[in-house]
Amino acid sequence: MSDTKTSEMRFLPIIGLCLLFPLLRMFGGEMATGTPFTALESAFLIPLIPMVIFPVIAILGQMNHGDEAWRERFKEGGMIALCTLAISLSLTIWLAIEFFTKGSSFEDPLRASVFNWINFETITQDAAGNWIHLKSDSLGVGLWIDNVSMMLLFVASFLCFLICWFSLGYMNTDPVNKDRNHRFYAEFVLFTAGMLGMVLADSFLWLFIFWEIMGLCSYLLIGFYYERPSAAYAAKKAFLTTRVGDVFLLIGLLMLYDIYGSLEFAVIFGDPSLHGTVDVNMLRWALIMLFIGAVGKSAQFPLHVWLPDAMEGPTPVSALIHAATMVNAGLYLVARFVPFFDVTGHGHGVEGLGDVAILIAWIGGITAFMAALIAFVQNDIKKVLAYSTMSQLAYIFTGLGVALWFYNHGEHHAAVIAFGASMFHLFNHAMAKGMLFMASGSVIHEMHHAHHGSHDEMDPQDMRNMGGLAGKLPITSTAMAIGSASIIGIPLIGGFWSKEGIVAETWNAAALHGGTWLLVPAFLILLTAGMTGFYMTRMWMMTFAGKPKTVYADKVHEHTPWIPTPLITLSVISLLGGFALAVLGATHWLGEAEAFGTAIHEHGLVFAILDTIVHAFLPTDMFLFLITWVAISISLVVGPAMAMRIHGGRLKSGESAPRLISWILPLSSKFGRTQVDDLANSGLADALHRRLYFDELYDWAIGKTVIPLAYALSWFDKNVIDGAIKGIEWGSQKISGDVRKLTTGRPSDYIMMAVIGTFSILILLWGVI
Amino acid sequence: MSTLTLISDPQTATALLPEFTLIVGIALLILIPNLGKGTFRLPIPNTNIRIPYLFGGERFAFTSSPRIPGVISVFTLLFSTALALWSQMEEPLSDSNVWCIATTGEAFNSCAGMIEPSLLKIDGFSRLLEIVFYGALMLCGVAMWSRMPATPRFMIHAQVLAGRREDERIAKLLDNRRQVDFHILLLMVALGMSVVVLANDLFVLFIGLELASLSSYVLVAFMKENDEAPEAGMKYFIVGSVASAVGLYGISLLYLWNGNLQISELASSWQAMDSIDPLALAGLAFIVVTIGFKVSAAPFHLAAPDAYSGASSPVAGVLATASKAMGFVVLLRVLVSITMPESGEAFWVPVVGLLAAVTMTWGNFGALSSESPKRMLAYSSVAHAGYLLAAVAALGLNTSREGDHVVAELIVAAMLFHLTVLVLFKLGSFLVLSMLESEGRGSKLEDLYGLAKREPLIATALFIFMLSLAGVPPLSGFLSKLLLVSGIVDATVHNSMTFDDGVIAAIRSLHWVFLLALFVFLNSALSLFYYLRVGWVMFFEDPPTRKRLVYAPFLRITLMLCMVGTLAFGIGPLADHLLTLVSNAAETFFG
Repeated sequence: MSDTKTSEMRFLPIIGLCLLFPLLRMFGGEMATGTPFTALESAFLIPLIPMVIFPVIAILGQMNHGDEAWRERFKEGGMIALCTLAISLSLTIWLAIEFFTKGSSFEDPLRASVFNWINFETITQDAAGNWIHLKSDSLGVGLWIDNVSMMLLFVASFLCFLICWFSLGYMNTDPVNKDRNHRFYAEFVLFTAGMLGMVLADSFLWLFIFWEIMGLCSYLLIGFYYERPSAAYAAKKAFLTTRVGDVFLLIGLLMLYDIYGSLEFAVIFGDPSLHGTVDVNMLRWALIMLFIGAVGKSAQFPLHVWLPDAMEGPTPVSALIHAATMVNAGLYLVARFVPFFDVTGHGHGVEGLGDVAILIAWIGGITAFMAALIAFVQNDIKKVLAYSTMSQLAYIFTGLGVALWFYNHGEHHAAVIAFGASMFHLFNHAMAKGMLFMASGSVIHEMHHAHHGSHDEMDPQDMRNMGGLAGKLPITSTAMAIGSASIIGIPLIGGFWSKEGIVAETWNAAALHGGTWLLVPAFLILLTAGMTGFYMTRMWMMTFAGKPKTVYADKVHEHTPWIPTPLITLSVISLLGGFALAVLGATHWLGEAEAFGTAIHEHGLVFAILDTIVHAFLPTDMFLFLITWVAISISLVVGPAMAMRIHGGRLKSGESAPRLISWILPLSSKFGRTQVDDLANSGLADALHRRLYFDELYDWAIGKTVIPLAYALSWFDKNVIDGAIKGIEWGSQKISGDVRKLTTGRPSDYIMMAVIGTFSILILLWGVI
Repeated sequence: MSTLTLISDPQTATALLPEFTLIVGIALLILIPNLGKGTFRLPIPNTNIRIPYLFGGERFAFTSSPRIPGVISVFTLLFSTALALWSQMEEPLSDSNVWCIATTGEAFNSCAGMIEPSLLKIDGFSRLLEIVFYGALMLCGVAMWSRMPATPRFMIHAQVLAGRREDERIAKLLDNRRQVDFHILLLMVALGMSVVVLANDLFVLFIGLELASLSSYVLVAFMKENDEAPEAGMKYFIVGSVASAVGLYGISLLYLWNGNLQISELASSWQAMDSIDPLALAGLAFIVVTIGFKVSAAPFHLAAPDAYSGASSPVAGVLATASKAMGFVVLLRVLVSITMPESGEAFWVPVVGLLAAVTMTWGNFGALSSESPKRMLAYSSVAHAGYLLAAVAALGLNTSREGDHVVAELIVAAMLFHLTVLVLFKLGSFLVLSMLESEGRGSKLEDLYGLAKREPLIATALFIFMLSLAGVPPLSGFLSKLLLVSGIVDATVHNSMTFDDGVIAAIRSLHWVFLLALFVFLNSALSLFYYLRVGWVMFFEDPPTRKRLVYAPFLRITLMLCMVGTLAFGIGPLADHLLTLVSNAAETFFG
């Protein structure tokens, strides 16, 4: 532990200085223009600085390969990355402060044009041949900052910073990564630039560009251990699967451009109905195309197959890209649909898009249920979390679908609540899941460490090798417990506040507002609430409760520097942040940009807290009251209790869990014991282990269609095209050789040729006349 | 006309300042290295009074330094270039810049009202080309500063020296002598080329041609220490003299036909002909043969690869740029100034078009498998001659929109632009090879292996030169090729062109010269192969040694200037300036 302190303490002043970057920027403005730069004027630096630092780390890493100072002082580029992200974070916080103090609403986002890149003039020629100026358009870079992007911006830069911090412990102490961490940090920073840029983009075009940068980084980072065939395969799979979505996204963007003649938010959101002239059918298909892109990025059914495999990447990557940030890009894109749907009188939406909203909710419901089901049988700790991520993102999709449905049916209040709850869940989930992945990383790291040097095979990620770690990894196990509670939706903790909102609003739409089509997703996500309780508890119990299942699990202890700090930070946020934000009115702020803390301001703190609790637990509508309590009871009691019955148990004697969670272990042992071997060997379990055969299905389908075509094209390329080129090359060389033989080296031959040439010219000229 | 008039007439002296400068330079090259402690003993018996007259005897150390001749010749050329530029500074298109030198030696401001036949004509066109010649020769001279010792440096260690200081002194003196020889010849070439481009009379032109050619034969053979140079020089001389003889015969036939060799007289006689006189036709054909040799057009080019690879690289560079430009000037003078009809297609278009097609194809195929970079560049120079000949063929179509010379001017401007920027990147690549040559290599492609690892900057320069030769945007080689092709297209594409019946029919409706433009494209694609191969071996092969190349600061600076010029004349304001310059020159050519 002393090592932890010194290692981190040594760098703290530098990071602190980086956090003071906004002061420098203000001072710079003072020097340059006489007035300090505002946060908005500096916001373009948030993605730009990581973008610039990316090549710096990559090049420095190549130059200082294996250098001792580079490894120790700079942590192979990690320190540079951390400082960069600290600067981005500080600028984000500065921007947030300015955003809150100046205030703004969804209708009126803060906008800043950074520069105009290319100007287009559309001109045409009329019948008389005169040039007429039709319109001018510019391809510029700008920023679009409203409450949603502000929230995501904060989530992204905050988690990037913390996970980078975590990586300094996780990556740099692992000998496998020695001398190649600069690649990790460079790509990490580039990814951050992509994410922050995507959130700040003021047009769908730039959103798409940064979206692709993220996709690239995701590919590179999943394949970080490219020497492992499974990692290389997973990287390719992730890239190609998301590419399927991206192609649709691009089609959707082209359709949008066709409709609106621009991809800028300001133009499109100004009046998405174009004074009622927009063809609903066309817009519907454009939105569906965009949604397919989002489905690919956020790993939803049926493009979900890449996410579990993506866990081949280093754990910080899983935490950052595949749990906390990149997979939210799809949600962000769907959240941007609101102006198209808003016919509540607050916007210029287009009527008749309800079916798109229902499609979104259905995809969400199906994914939530399916992913939770598969998570039941996963033994790899990261895979459980991966499926959990899919499931929770699906919740948000359902919530967004419901919100869009409400918007399109003119229910403003319900729409705002559903939208706000979804976005709030995004926040809670990102915080909790980022932490859970880091905690799992901690477990894996320590397991790996304990196993290091022994000769037999052991998968450090397999939970069947763990057990009883609660006493050995106090910080990790506490963090994991809090994170799991937040994901499950244990009342009063983190995700509860948002998940309740989503479930309640879905049922509200389905049962009380005539959205019959929404009944299926409503059922599915209610069921999933309980299933979440089961698989998250199962994961925690298998890892931390009971007796150690291998000798290695017995030797584990927490000692790696850099790892605990982010865990503790996020634990606090997950434990208290949800409640605090709920009381402050996060749902309303995210939904309709109502100022934070309106309720506190008007009625006082106590009333606000009571109001929040009453709203959550005692809805006035009897039906919603029922739904709420069903959800609470199955997620709090049924699911966890079943999991405890199967996997629970006290620790080895002599060990005790940290105080905060020590009550769980005795409790878990009180539920008795059920042997589930029969069930675990059943056909259903097998189907779940094989991920409901989706991979087989895709492999089969691709094998029947794409692969033969690819072979045919490859044959064509090899034989026809290459053959032609080779033929040309061979022929040219042959002709060249023959031609050069004419240069004999004897002047008499040259003169002979000249004479022939002379006579040819004479004869030709004669012939012409 | 006496030499005295030439100098005493102030107008003539002013008009011919650059050329007089060259003559002064030659005189200085002869005089200065001979300054010494020579004395003259007064012929009084029993006395030993010696009057120093600073000539002969033991040479001064300073004046016999091996550097001096090079400095003199380069500064002479620089001075001439500056004067040539200065003479065209004001009002580029006005008559005040045009001078005609009559046979009496007097200079007249306008050639139209002259009674005496004019020998030389000075205008924007000739001045621009003079600048090109001087520039190319200057680059050659600079490259020779660090080379060309009496005994090539890579062989010096094999010599056994007796008495170190004395040997050094003698070696220096010998160096100096050789340098003097070389640079005198260089200035002679410059003078000959100036005469060619200024000549207003075919015979004067021929004299200039011979002056330049004979000097260049010697230059090719100058590196007599190795086996190749004398052989190459000999071959070049034999084939060249045959070509010159044929050309002289052609000129004599023209004289027989017209009784006068004035270009303007020949032109008006040609216009007056009802049907073309066989005598004139044969004379013209023979002159074209000479030009074909000068610009290394197929099938008269065969000695060129041998000559280029045998000569030292800077000399080969001069042959590939200045010499070729001179050839094209003669071609324009003969074909356009004399035989171009008032309207309609010139009769020589098929011949020149065929020559162009054969030349560019032959050149490219020859270069494709050449192992020696110098041979490769020689063949590429043949191919470039083909491109220019295609432009000349298009010029012969005499396309005119509303009776003006716009299209023709565009083509001539394109040719001039090409010839100008060619000096930068063709001679530039020869200069790089010359650096390799000073360590005794450079005749094989292997010698370029891994050059980027030895000299990144030099290799980058060579790569840029290669790209420019291939015509890759945004380099000046691209712009010049683009101008040439667009000139051809402009000359052939007509307003009534329609694609209604399909592309094939549309192309068929065009003059066949249009196909030459396609030919240029195809050949450019082919040429990329061997140009890029140079880049490939420089950057991706392993060098035989890690040693840096010879330290030649001025040559390096010159190379960098060439590289910057290759870039700057391809795009941006400098390219615009050059374009204005060449279009003015083209206008004066027709004006």
